[in-house]
Amino acid sequence: MIKTRGLVKKYGSFTAVDGVDLNIPTGEIYGLLGPNGAGKTSTIMMLLGIVKPTRGDIFLFGEPYNPKRLDLRKRIGVVPENHPHGMWSWMTAYEYLEMFAELFEVKDKERRIEKLLSQVRLSEVINKKIGEFSRGMLQKLSFVRALLHDPDILFLDEPISGLDPLGIKQIRDLILEENREGRTIFISSHLLSEMEKICHRVAIISRGRLMAEDRMESLLNNLSRERKILIDLESIPSELPDEVKRLSYVLDCRGDGNTLVITVPREGDYRKGLSEFLIKKNLIPLSIKEQMVSLEEAFVTITKENVEMLAAMGESR
Amino acid sequence: MNLRIHAARVIARRKTLETVLNPGFYIAQTAGLLLGYILITGFTGAIDSSGFSFELNPVYDFVGRAMVGAFGRTFVDKLFSEGPFLLALYISFLPSFFYLSINSVFRFSFEKKVGAIELISYGPADGTSCFLASYVKDILLTLLTIAILFIYFAVAAFNNNIVLGSRFLYSVPLILFTSSALYAYGILAAVATDNAVSAISLYMGIVIFFLIILMGTFSIVSGYVSTLSGVFTRIAGWLSPLFYWNLSLTGVESGKAGFFITGIVILSVLTGIVLFASHLIVGVKGVRK
Amino acid sequence: MKGKAAGFILAFCVTLFAFADVPVRKEEFIYSILAFNGRDYSGTFAREEADTIYLIAGVDNFLTAKKTFVYFWPITGEWRTDTQGLDQEMSGTLEVYSDKEQPVKLTPEKYTYYNVRGVYELNWNVAKGKEADKVRSHYEDLVDEYWKAISEYYNKRAEYESRLDKITGEITERRKRGEDVTSLLEELKTMKPPARPQPPEEYTVPPVPVKSGFIINLPVGEYRIRFLTPDGFIMQGSEKKIVVFEKRREGGIGYEIIPGDKWTRPSESKTPHSVLYVDGTTDLYLRPFYQDEFNDLYYEKMRRNDSRGNPNLMKWVRMQQVPEARIEMSPMDGNITTVTEEPFYVEQVQGASLGYRIVPFDAEGKHEGREPSIRAFHIPIERERGVLKISLFDREGKQILSGKRQIRVIPGAGFKTGLFLLAFVPLLVMGVVLFFRRKRYSD
Ligand SMILES: Nc1ncnc2c1ncn2[C@@H]1O[C@H](COP(=O)(O)OP(=O)(O)O)[C@@H](O)[C@H]1O
Ligand SMILES: [Mg+2]
Repeated sequence: MIKTRGLVKKYGSFTAVDGVDLNIPTGEIYGLLGPNGAGKTSTIMMLLGIVKPTRGDIFLFGEPYNPKRLDLRKRIGVVPENHPHGMWSWMTAYEYLEMFAELFEVKDKERRIEKLLSQVRLSEVINKKIGEFSRGMLQKLSFVRALLHDPDILFLDEPISGLDPLGIKQIRDLILEENREGRTIFISSHLLSEMEKICHRVAIISRGRLMAEDRMESLLNNLSRERKILIDLESIPSELPDEVKRLSYVLDCRGDGNTLVITVPREGDYRKGLSEFLIKKNLIPLSIKEQMVSLEEAFVTITKENVEMLAAMGESR
Repeated sequence: MNLRIHAARVIARRKTLETVLNPGFYIAQTAGLLLGYILITGFTGAIDSSGFSFELNPVYDFVGRAMVGAFGRTFVDKLFSEGPFLLALYISFLPSFFYLSINSVFRFSFEKKVGAIELISYGPADGTSCFLASYVKDILLTLLTIAILFIYFAVAAFNNNIVLGSRFLYSVPLILFTSSALYAYGILAAVATDNAVSAISLYMGIVIFFLIILMGTFSIVSGYVSTLSGVFTRIAGWLSPLFYWNLSLTGVESGKAGFFITGIVILSVLTGIVLFASHLIVGVKGVRK
Repeated sequence: MKGKAAGFILAFCVTLFAFADVPVRKEEFIYSILAFNGRDYSGTFAREEADTIYLIAGVDNFLTAKKTFVYFWPITGEWRTDTQGLDQEMSGTLEVYSDKEQPVKLTPEKYTYYNVRGVYELNWNVAKGKEADKVRSHYEDLVDEYWKAISEYYNKRAEYESRLDKITGEITERRKRGEDVTSLLEELKTMKPPARPQPPEEYTVPPVPVKSGFIINLPVGEYRIRFLTPDGFIMQGSEKKIVVFEKRREGGIGYEIIPGDKWTRPSESKTPHSVLYVDGTTDLYLRPFYQDEFNDLYYEKMRRNDSRGNPNLMKWVRMQQVPEARIEMSPMDGNITTVTEEPFYVEQVQGASLGYRIVPFDAEGKHEGREPSIRAFHIPIERERGVLKISLFDREGKQILSGKRQIRVIPGAGFKTGLFLLAFVPLLVMGVVLFFRRKRYSD
């Protein structure tokens, strides 16, 4: 659906986006992940034609992209990073959405607005001044606005930052639901833990450079050098973690309630050996699971060398 | 093109509604009408058995003396030859004009800065749609303002047995076209600058520049302003809507309808050119930040 | 304006203080100018600092080169000459340059100008050279004749009066003596006083004494002039520009408007668009005149070289009365009445309220032996609010369109409070709009 080749954006001498190749397949949730200042918003703005790329090609819906083609924009929905709702704070939610519905020439706008608002549970406040909306409500309103014209692709720039857990869950459900209906979704975020729950495919960007781009699972598999095996026991004797640590292939081990968390190298299957060791000790494994490495951990691995970035991540959590 | 115009229409409706929901607009209207009231009652108060003489009313005496000093007796005699409404129209129009134009310049800059225009540009619209909307809003509300002033003056004229006057009547369309070109300059100022303060400064600078040129045209005082004005006029007199306004009004006075029409046509062309220049600037500068 | 006036006064006081009543005088080379302004000749002068002289095209104007004292008179804010102190006419030639043609060298010529009486007021003539002397001496002859006639008249008058005395004395004496006086009474009846001779009536402005100057009559355009002394030197301060201009339009009609209660304060109405607003307290007396339209600056500067004017404005200038005209008044009720020009006499109002009253001139009655104060069209003004339309017809009975006017009587009290309150309607509308808007938010 969207492809970029060697996309570069320079602000003066500073290179914000440095040769990014993206490939966003139809119908998937695509995550562009990276710390603050990595160049995510700049990339999205180039895709939207708001910012002119310094170099590189963009293909949108299979055509070379021309920002003057206003008609193509009717196939795109955007939830931007910042919401300039202040400009329209005097409007009611309905009036605000109606304006955009007319802008996109949405048919049967009244019904569409009501339907979407009830989907995000905002029906109650349809005639409330949006100046009085909370941040979560505004975010949902922004979603509704982006979805009014039933776009083929939805761009979400940092859609969950600044939301409370309930808000995050509502937005996540909304994203998943929209995707189930076949909509392509492009999300940018620096909150990696949330994204790994929803993205099918991710690109990791740091200092304007694409560090990796792949399907979620293979990315995780390829990038982690170690793995965790979780074994549930009836109880864990206190000396057990230290004994397990002494095994040649075990890198680390600790108890977590009745679960033994064992870190092993990425290659090889250690489940058999571990269960034999436990049975020898008269302990019966109730279940053995291999834990996928979290995206966040993978991300740290990829960009570990960048201390500043780690700090930035720490800040944002 | 079609989408852009469509967007401009949609946004213009909201901008108009927004202005109409704002007390400032009504306050400007009332301020304008009160100025008109002062000028009309002042005029009737300055009439005695020999006719109108501005010395008879304190307000008119002050204004009249100042104008005689600056522009000469002939100018003042002509100004009031048909009654008070020519001056009253322009004076009463000023509060609304400045309210609308400065508001638009400020708003456009501010919207650009907070990203409201960007948000609209994600859809089938662009910066040009937004400034066109702002322009259309100003024109609509100017029409409303002129209609209000016209009704008020018509009532006042009927009641005091004063004629509105031919130059007043010609000024009604003329004031629309002139302010239209000035609104276009406001847009140019807003798109060419990066924040509201510099946009308003630039706009006011442009308006004052045009005013100096115009004042210089009528001034009888040789001195700093008229010298400056002479230089300005030679360089950029043709850029000024007030220049063509004067051309039209002079045409009316000397009974040459051709000049009046020409002035209006040039004002429309000037508006178009300034809007097009704004369009090019938005295209180059973009709508982000 | 006020600041400027204050400035002048301050400057004046300083001048007074420093020079004890004598404004600073400078000896300067000037052009003394007699310019025809369309109506008559008016004199002005261009001092050394003036760079331009303004003249009307196609008429004879007279320039003389002079050395004189020049000073600034702060009270009126104008420059003046002091010809008492020094008034030295310079001999030499005047060179006139234009872009198109060869320079023209002018030498001083004798001239006089005069206005001949006629139906119209303006019948100006200029006589040059020998003709000037002739015209002037013809006039002087007329004046001499007149004076001769006058002295003859006085002699006859004296003769007549002494004869009268004699006869009346004789009659009383004879009567006393009881004699018949019939023959003497017969003589008394047939005796007539001698007729007073009329002054020459040929001119409204008789030929002025013959003077000598450069006669300048140029087509529209810009020229440069300079003055050369007999030994061929260019006079310092003599190089000037001449702007020769013409009227833009002519034959407009203006009205002099004389209110019945203030005949010393007439006003003028210049164009058919202009409306005459009055308070309806007195009648009006109108005097229609022909007017021409000139550039404000050029015209003002032509009349007084150091005055100011507006280069971008045109103004109508009064030229002469419309002779033998007729005015038609149509009030709102539609009954057209015709007014003709009548003589009027201005009487001083007796009593506490000093003032004037304009009354019809009564030649045989109480104004016998006097001249009418004004000849004008009497327009009665009705107190009740109304519109009076006026049209003007010339001596041939043709309507002069630019002579149309409207006179409107404004109501005294009017509807001020209502108008004032009406100005607040927008705020009322705002209240309503915002009220409904708020309602919309809440539900
Ligand atoms: N208009 C701009 N001018 C200059 N620098 C900019 C501009 N926009 C963004 N940047 C810089 O480019 C870098 C990338 O910004 P951005 O794309 O917003 O990152 P992200 O969205 O990943 O946080 C940042 O260092 C930012 O300061
Ligand atoms: Mg960002």
